[in-house]
Amino acid sequence: MSTSVNVGSAPARSEATAPDTPCAHCGLPVGSTPVHDPAAENADAFCCTGCQAVYHTLHEAGMHDTYYRLSGIGQERSPQPAQARPDELVYAELGTDDFLAEHAPLRDDGTRAITLFVDGVHCAACVWLVERLTDAFGGVTDALLDLPRARLRLEWDPDRVSLPEVADWLSQFGYRVHPVRQDQHQARTDEERRLLLKVGICWALAGNVMLLALALYAGLDAVDSTLNAAAHWVSFGLAIPAVLYGGSEFVRRAWSSVKWAWHQGTARHLHMDLPIALGIWVGFLDSVWGTVSGRGEVWFDSITVLIAAVLTARWLQLRSRRLAGDASDRLLALLPTMAHQVGGDGTTTPVRVDTLQPGDCVRVRPGDTIPVDGVVEDGRSSVNNAVLTGEHQPTPVEPGDEVTGGATNLSTPLIVRVTATGEASSIGQLLAWVREEAPKSARVAHLADRITGYFVAGVATLAILTATLWLMWAPDEAMRHVVALLVITCPCALGMATPLSLAVATGQAAQTGIFVKSEITLERCQEVDAIVLDKTGTLTEGQLALLDTHGEPEAVAWAAALETNSSHPVAQALTAAHPVDPEVAARIDDIDHIAGRGLSGTVDGRRVVVGRPDWITQEASCEEPLRAAVRNAASNGHTPVAVAVDGVVQAVCVFGDRLRPEVPALVRKWQEAGHRVMILSGDHPAVVRHVADKLSIPEEDARGHVSPAEKRAAIEHLHDEGYTMAMVGDGVNDAGALQQADIGIAVDGGATPSLVAADVFLTRQGLAPIDDLFNGASNTMRVIRGTLTFSLMYNLAGGTAAMAGLVGPLVAAVAMPVSSLVVVTAAITQRSFAVSGAAEAPRSSVPADTPAPPHDTDRSPKASPALDHVPGHPSTKQAA
Amino acid sequence: MNILYVLVPLALLLAGAGVAAFVWSVRTGQYDDVETPSMRILMDDDMQAPTSEPESDQPASEN
Repeated sequence: MSTSVNVGSAPARSEATAPDTPCAHCGLPVGSTPVHDPAAENADAFCCTGCQAVYHTLHEAGMHDTYYRLSGIGQERSPQPAQARPDELVYAELGTDDFLAEHAPLRDDGTRAITLFVDGVHCAACVWLVERLTDAFGGVTDALLDLPRARLRLEWDPDRVSLPEVADWLSQFGYRVHPVRQDQHQARTDEERRLLLKVGICWALAGNVMLLALALYAGLDAVDSTLNAAAHWVSFGLAIPAVLYGGSEFVRRAWSSVKWAWHQGTARHLHMDLPIALGIWVGFLDSVWGTVSGRGEVWFDSITVLIAAVLTARWLQLRSRRLAGDASDRLLALLPTMAHQVGGDGTTTPVRVDTLQPGDCVRVRPGDTIPVDGVVEDGRSSVNNAVLTGEHQPTPVEPGDEVTGGATNLSTPLIVRVTATGEASSIGQLLAWVREEAPKSARVAHLADRITGYFVAGVATLAILTATLWLMWAPDEAMRHVVALLVITCPCALGMATPLSLAVATGQAAQTGIFVKSEITLERCQEVDAIVLDKTGTLTEGQLALLDTHGEPEAVAWAAALETNSSHPVAQALTAAHPVDPEVAARIDDIDHIAGRGLSGTVDGRRVVVGRPDWITQEASCEEPLRAAVRNAASNGHTPVAVAVDGVVQAVCVFGDRLRPEVPALVRKWQEAGHRVMILSGDHPAVVRHVADKLSIPEEDARGHVSPAEKRAAIEHLHDEGYTMAMVGDGVNDAGALQQADIGIAVDGGATPSLVAADVFLTRQGLAPIDDLFNGASNTMRVIRGTLTFSLMYNLAGGTAAMAGLVGPLVAAVAMPVSSLVVVTAAITQRSFAVSGAAEAPRSSVPADTPAPPHDTDRSPKASPALDHVPGHPSTKQAA
Repeated sequence: MNILYVLVPLALLLAGAGVAAFVWSVRTGQYDDVETPSMRILMDDDMQAPTSEPESDQPASEN
C-alpha cells in the first residue's frame, strides 16, 4: 500500500518533510513517505492518500470548520488514518433485495431502517459528520451513531435514496460500513435493559423502606403506635414488589440449581443464589408475620437493600460482558458473503454467496478471499492458504487445481467453478465446529459456587444448633433468633464478590487489549498447565519477511528497487525491509515479469535478475558461499531468492516467517513455570522443527502438517491426559482447536472464525498480552479470594452474634451494607490488569481487517538489522 | 403527627413519578449509549445542509 502512495506522490514531493510532522487530517506522524498536494508549494502533509482525500472532501463540502473544531472533543477512540479502500462487494450486497428483505424490512410508512457498523469513527467530529447524512440526502430521515459501539442506526426512504449511495457517501470520508449479522446485540441490550429496570426500581423501593425504617429505629412505636403500625404496613407494601419482582432473579436461578443438584444427587452444584433467595424469603415471611400480628421484628429494609445491591452487581457484570460480545459481533460482520458470479456471457454480477450453486463460476480478484470451495477454471495465480493450513508459502494454482474457500488469491484474477458451498465447504465445516455448543460451561463451576454447598451446610447446622439451644433456654425466642441468623448470614457480600471483581477485571483487561468473552476464563487461567501454540501468525509474524542477506548490499538495493514493480509477497517483503530511493527507482528500465520465477530489468545499464535460485543459476554463475546460503535456507524451510547482476549471482536474500521477538523469553518463562509448551502447526514439519529447536521445545511436542481436525483431536487427547490447556492460535484452521481447548486465545490479526471461537482475543500485537492475561487473572483471583474470605469471616461473626441473640433488625441494617461496601471497594480498586504494557493503549478496538497505517517508520526499524548482519544462522538475530 | 398520613403517601407518589420516568427512559433506550449524546450537544443545530444535493448524487468514489 505504501509503495503505491509513494509512487503516486513522488513528482510533487518538494523538500523533505520531517517524519514526525502531524498529518493535516488525522494528526498522526506522516512518516518517511508523506503525501503532499500536487498544486501548492507549502502544502499540508498527509500520512496517506486516504487522509488527503478526506481532507479535501471536507473542504469542498464546507464541513471542515466544524469537523476539525469537534475532532479534539471527547475520548479519542482507536485513532487511525482514514481507510481508503471501501469493499465494493460489501456495498453491492447492501443494494440487493434479499439483503434488504432480511435486514431492513419495509415499514408501514414506506421507509426502511437498519443498523450498520461504521469502521473508523472515533471522536465527536465523526459523530457530527456521520449524522450529516440527513442533510446530505433528503431521503435519509434519521441517522444516529452510537460511538462506543460504532453502530449507525439509519432510517431512509428507499424510493429517494439507496443504501449503497449512503455507504459511498460515508466512504469518501474514510468510514467503511458493514452490515450487522447474526446479531446477539439486541438480545444483550434487552437483557441489560430488563436488569437495569430491576436495579432502578429496587433501589427506589429500598430507599423508601429505609426512610421508614429510620423512623422505626428512632423509636416511632413509643411515640405513636398507630403510626408505627402504618409504617410497618407501608414497608410491607413496598417490599412486596421488591421481593417478588426483584427477588425473582435469585429465586429462579436458585430453584434451577436445586433441581440440578437433586438430579445429580450432589450438593456441589448448588448456586450462590440459593442462600441469597433463602435469606430473602425467610426475612420477608418473618417480617410479614410481624406486621400482620403486630408483634415481632421487621427486616424489610435489610432485604430490600440486599436485593438492590446484588442486582446492581449483576447488572455491572452484564455490562462489562458486552465489551467482548459487541466486538465479536463486529467480527462476524466481516465474513465474506458476496461473490462475483460469472454469467454465461462472461459478465460478472455480485451475488450473495448463499445463492451460489455447485457448478456456478465466480471470479476472484487478486487480494480477495476465495468465497467457496472449487476448481480453477481459468487463470494462473498463486493462493495463500495460511489462514487454512498455517503454511505461509504461496501455492501456485492453474486450471484444474482445487482451491479452498478462505484462501487468498495473490497475483492474478481467477475464475473458479464452485464445488461446495456453505456447510459442505471446508470453511463451512470449521464454522460449524465453532458454532457447536461447547460442553465447557458444564465442566467448570465458579469458585464462589463451589463453596456454596459447604456454606449452605454450615448455615443449616448453625440454624439447627441455634434452634436447639434456644428451645432449651427460652423457647419463645428460638424462632426469632433462627430468623435473625438466616437473615444476617444471607451471603450478600459473598454473592457480590465474584461477579464484581470479575466484571472490573474484564473491563481493565479490555483496556489493555485483552478481550475476555466469559469471566470463567479468568478463573481457568489459574489451572492451565499446558500451552499449545500455533506457529504461523502466532509464534511468527505470519507474513514473509526478509530474514537475512548474503553478498553485495548494492545488489540487494537494486533488487529492492526492481521489486517495487511487483506485488508478489517476496517483493513486498523486500521493499518493506529496503525503503527504495526514488532516484534509483526512476532509473529502472526493461522490466520483465516471468511468472512463478522472478523478474528482470535494467538498472543504470546493468541487467539485474531477481528470482528463484534454480532458475537464475541456469544462466548465471554462482559462487560457493552463496550456493551454501541457498542450501542452508532451503533446509531451514526458508525461501531463498537470488540476485544476479550481469550474469553473476551477487547476493542471496533469505525470506521467511520471522519469529516474534518476545516469543523465546515468554516460552522460557512458561517452561520454567512448569507448563508444557507445545506447537501444533499445519506448516511443513521441517519448519516447525526449526522453530521448536530455537525455543528448546522437545521434538515430540512440536508437530507439523497437522490438519484442523487433528488439531482438534490433539487438544481432546491432551484433555484426556488430564491437562488444562490454553490454545493460542490465529488461523481458521485453529478455530476448532480454540473452541475445544479449555482456554482458546486468538492473537491480534487472527482470522475471523478463530476470533469467534476463542474465549479470549487480543487486540494488542504479539504474545506479550498472553502473559499479561495470566498475571492479571491470578491477580484477580487473589482479589476474589480476599473478598470471599472477608465475606465468610463476616458471616461467621454475624452467625455467632445471631446465635447469642445479639442481632436485631438494626444490627442487620447496619452490618449488611457495610460488609457489601467493603467487598465493592475491594473489587473496584483492584489493579489486576494495570500491567506495564497497559501504558500503551490498545492499538485498535476493531481487532480484525483494519490494516495498520502504512507508516514506513513502523516497519524499517525491525527489518533493518538484517542488513548489517551477513553470515551465520539466519534466524539467530530474531531472538535478540 | 397526623400530617404524616398525608405526607408519606404524597412522598411515595412523588417517588412513583420518578420511577415511572426511569422506566420510560430505560424502555426508550436512553441508557444504551451514554457517551455519544454528550458529544451531540456540542454540535450546531443551526448549520443548515452544508452539502449541496448535487455533491451527494455522485460522490467521489476513488478513495
